[in-house]
Amino acid sequence: VAEQGRSLWYKDAVIYQLHVRTFCDSNDDGIGDFPGLIQKLDYLQELGINAIWLMPFFPSPLRDDGYDTSDYFNVHPSYGTLDDFKKFLTAAHQRGIRIIIELVLNHTSDQHPWFQEARSSRENPKRDWYVWSETDDRYKEARIIFLDTEMSNWAWDPISKSYYWHRFFSHQPDLNFDNPAVFEMMWQAMKFWLDIGVDGFRLDAVPYLAEREGTSCENLPETHAIVREFRRRLDQAYPEAMLLAEANQWPADVRAYFAEGDEFHMAFHFPLMPRMFMAVQLEDRKPIIEILEQTPQIPDACQWCIFLRNHDELTLEMVTDVERDYMYDEYAKDKAMRLNAGIRRRLAPMMDNDRRRIQLLNVLLMSMPGTPIIYYGDEIGMGDNVYLGDRNGVRTPMQWNGGWNGGFSRADPERLYSPPISNPVYGYQAINVDSQQRSPHSLLSWMKSLIAIRKSSRVFSRGTIEFLRPSNHRVLAYVRQLGEEKILVVNNLAASAQAVELDLRHYKGYIPIEMVGRNLFPRIGEVPYLLTLGPYHSYAFRLRRI
Amino acid sequence: LLAEETFLDDDFLRQLMNVGEVDLLIGIPSHNNVATIGTTVEAVEESFQQNFVRERVVTVNVDAGSRDGTVELFLNAAVRKNANGRGLTSLRTEHRVATRYPHTVLPGQVCRVILSAAELVRAKACAVISPVSSNVTPSWIASLLKPAYREKIDFVAPLYSRHKYDGLLGRNLLYPMTRATFGRRLRELRPTEYAFSGQFASYCLNQDVWHEEEIAASPETWMAVYSFCSDFRVSQAFLGKKMHAVTSSGTDIVAAVRQSVGALFWCMESQQSVWMGRTGSEAIPTTGPDHELTTEPQRLNRKRIFELFRSGVAELEGILKSVLSPETHAEIRRIATLDEKNFRLGGELWTRTAFEFAAAYHRAVLNRDHLIQALVPLYRGRIYSFLLEHNESSPEEIEADTEALCLEFERQKPYLIERWNAKE
Repeated sequence: VAEQGRSLWYKDAVIYQLHVRTFCDSNDDGIGDFPGLIQKLDYLQELGINAIWLMPFFPSPLRDDGYDTSDYFNVHPSYGTLDDFKKFLTAAHQRGIRIIIELVLNHTSDQHPWFQEARSSRENPKRDWYVWSETDDRYKEARIIFLDTEMSNWAWDPISKSYYWHRFFSHQPDLNFDNPAVFEMMWQAMKFWLDIGVDGFRLDAVPYLAEREGTSCENLPETHAIVREFRRRLDQAYPEAMLLAEANQWPADVRAYFAEGDEFHMAFHFPLMPRMFMAVQLEDRKPIIEILEQTPQIPDACQWCIFLRNHDELTLEMVTDVERDYMYDEYAKDKAMRLNAGIRRRLAPMMDNDRRRIQLLNVLLMSMPGTPIIYYGDEIGMGDNVYLGDRNGVRTPMQWNGGWNGGFSRADPERLYSPPISNPVYGYQAINVDSQQRSPHSLLSWMKSLIAIRKSSRVFSRGTIEFLRPSNHRVLAYVRQLGEEKILVVNNLAASAQAVELDLRHYKGYIPIEMVGRNLFPRIGEVPYLLTLGPYHSYAFRLRRI
Repeated sequence: LLAEETFLDDDFLRQLMNVGEVDLLIGIPSHNNVATIGTTVEAVEESFQQNFVRERVVTVNVDAGSRDGTVELFLNAAVRKNANGRGLTSLRTEHRVATRYPHTVLPGQVCRVILSAAELVRAKACAVISPVSSNVTPSWIASLLKPAYREKIDFVAPLYSRHKYDGLLGRNLLYPMTRATFGRRLRELRPTEYAFSGQFASYCLNQDVWHEEEIAASPETWMAVYSFCSDFRVSQAFLGKKMHAVTSSGTDIVAAVRQSVGALFWCMESQQSVWMGRTGSEAIPTTGPDHELTTEPQRLNRKRIFELFRSGVAELEGILKSVLSPETHAEIRRIATLDEKNFRLGGELWTRTAFEFAAAYHRAVLNRDHLIQALVPLYRGRIYSFLLEHNESSPEEIEADTEALCLEFERQKPYLIERWNAKE
């Protein structure tokens, strides 16, 4: 069995997602780099995270923030050298932090030498590394993903005078995985980074690897076969390595990417995320419970990855029209906040900077089944800048202190890759790591304790979940269980105080021990267990039979 | 309120506490409605899912002692899910809350519980939907609730498409009488489906009327009349054809007259300062598609209706003598001697009869309940005459006749006031 003899470290991970460009600039060029990131590893260790997901850092023309790769075997010169990356990897591992990197399998940049060769002549050996056509009417059933910018999945190449296939931007031609040479080359890329020491890959845009006429060109059996072969080779040579799928699909469709435990180790649970936001705004647990009820079981060695916000827009592809309209109306009243089928905002502004709401969502993140991902800066409540275009508004420099450029860089502000947030509410003068480290009551300090609680028990990372269904729909309560260990989590989704009666007869005789203060609560008996919760308040109780 | 209103039991209160504040409340009164309660609650929740996906909603079943599993079916009827199992059908939890009495209770008590629930959960708009109507559709609920919720209408009465022999009490007495006295053209004075604003619910709840027998018997008639006695906004919503789960019987007519006419007379009595000065009548805004109010007939046992009229006039002679003027009484007695084919109780005599009963009720010449029961045989005479006259009439002709009767009621209103104010 695949998981035997493995640590399954990814199930117990708390992942921190960051882009090296955004984190810390060591050479004063206005762009974050690996030497800068190494300086901040102590901060991340102290925060308590034990894995970092690095966004693309390979050489790239950066027309899509690095998701347009032009070299799979090196580091973008703006971020340092390959040697810098190796030093970073070693330093992270010394601190018990695993490193997951981004690998964009589906497409390259149109500036990649492979594509330049492919378009140079129809006879070039690299020609068949991409998907070409004489017409633009093949694969018509495939939807267009970037509706705001692309009119077609085909783009005209004036050099070779034919169309090439692209599921994303037209400057990102799709690789042709029907060509075994492409697969072999991508395996070589994986091996290259695994040999250096990375712990896993987040594989971008997985559902689109293969194309077949008469289909949506998503989730095809041929795509699964490609993934299975990568996994087979991985298991043989690098059994501790992990594959994380980016497949923005319904859970039932993503389930196929776990297969029998022989494709991906982890996959994002995309539909859960918007529904957590919806539940808080509606003050109703229904959206969360319904989506988790629609989530199929996955093999034991597999795990969902859950998140609140990330580097992309808050995607609303996996919601109904009714739900999307509601999310727009509540969280993106200003049209500038909307992008594609989503919302380009960070956590804190979406929560109107309400500390209690930010905390509530983080409790949900840390206590739901799955491996949580924290997006850089959300641990201090950073803001966004919706006027920066595309998704750049949520990719602004990390705010370390109230000084020059928020401590991100000593370069002139004009030279920074992006202007830092500087408004009076979310600007680096108000929101920064230094000031929050000084206060035991800051959001940052609270996040540290939350992460510590999460890591204190494998129940959160590996346990089952059973929803309690008290009559009060504003309260979301569930019991996580792993073996004999049980944790009861109770969340008030409402802006007002709530009383709730929980039917805990099944746990009669247990004593709830509140996990923050470690205080004992009255022993559970036959009668409904009454709790009162302040606005947006949460409790996590370890249930002990004493 | 909680301290005083002990008619709400603790369990029901606990359920309402869990529901919390809502935007919309649907009240479903029930009594042995297991055959239809399931489809009613389905229609309600489907309407929520189609029309009110973002609203906080609750459906409240107030059961008057069912022994057929009505409440259990209400609570456990299946919730419609999205066909593909992806996403939500509605965004919020759709609550179902039930309370039941161990025995039969009057409609007023049920209505009061619904109004109390509406006030406790601070519903912005409410509707009462009866499982007695066997063809409730999601669009009915939307048609009633939308004006109350979105247009801030305080009372939304239904407007049904009825076959020409259905709703005869409304057509021949309640509608013309209300229109003539209160000056508002509200067609349905005994609605089984209606909607109202949260504000109007609180207003009604806080009126000191709930101990009155007439209100207990027909609270919806009282609410309808009171809505246009005060400065509340009233409208009608066309719902389409109405079908009953049970067929009206002779016994039902007695009860219907006692309940609704009693409530109407009580309203006239308590609101005389409002209607005395009103002349003519005003239309009430109506929403919904173009409609026909009258459709094709059903068969009725006419012979029995006529026999009950004749025997009633004979048996109740003493009572009728004390209620009616000598001229009216004599005319009633005369037509009771006519044969079936030549019988006619025309609009002029019927109006005079109804007004004299209303005035007698006001003057309390005898026990009011007995008085209203004495109106039943005369009402049967009017119905027999109506059936005879309109055997071949088209729906348009029926509507024209109803309008003519209303105008007759309006024309004779001074006579009503004269009788009302007469000192005897």
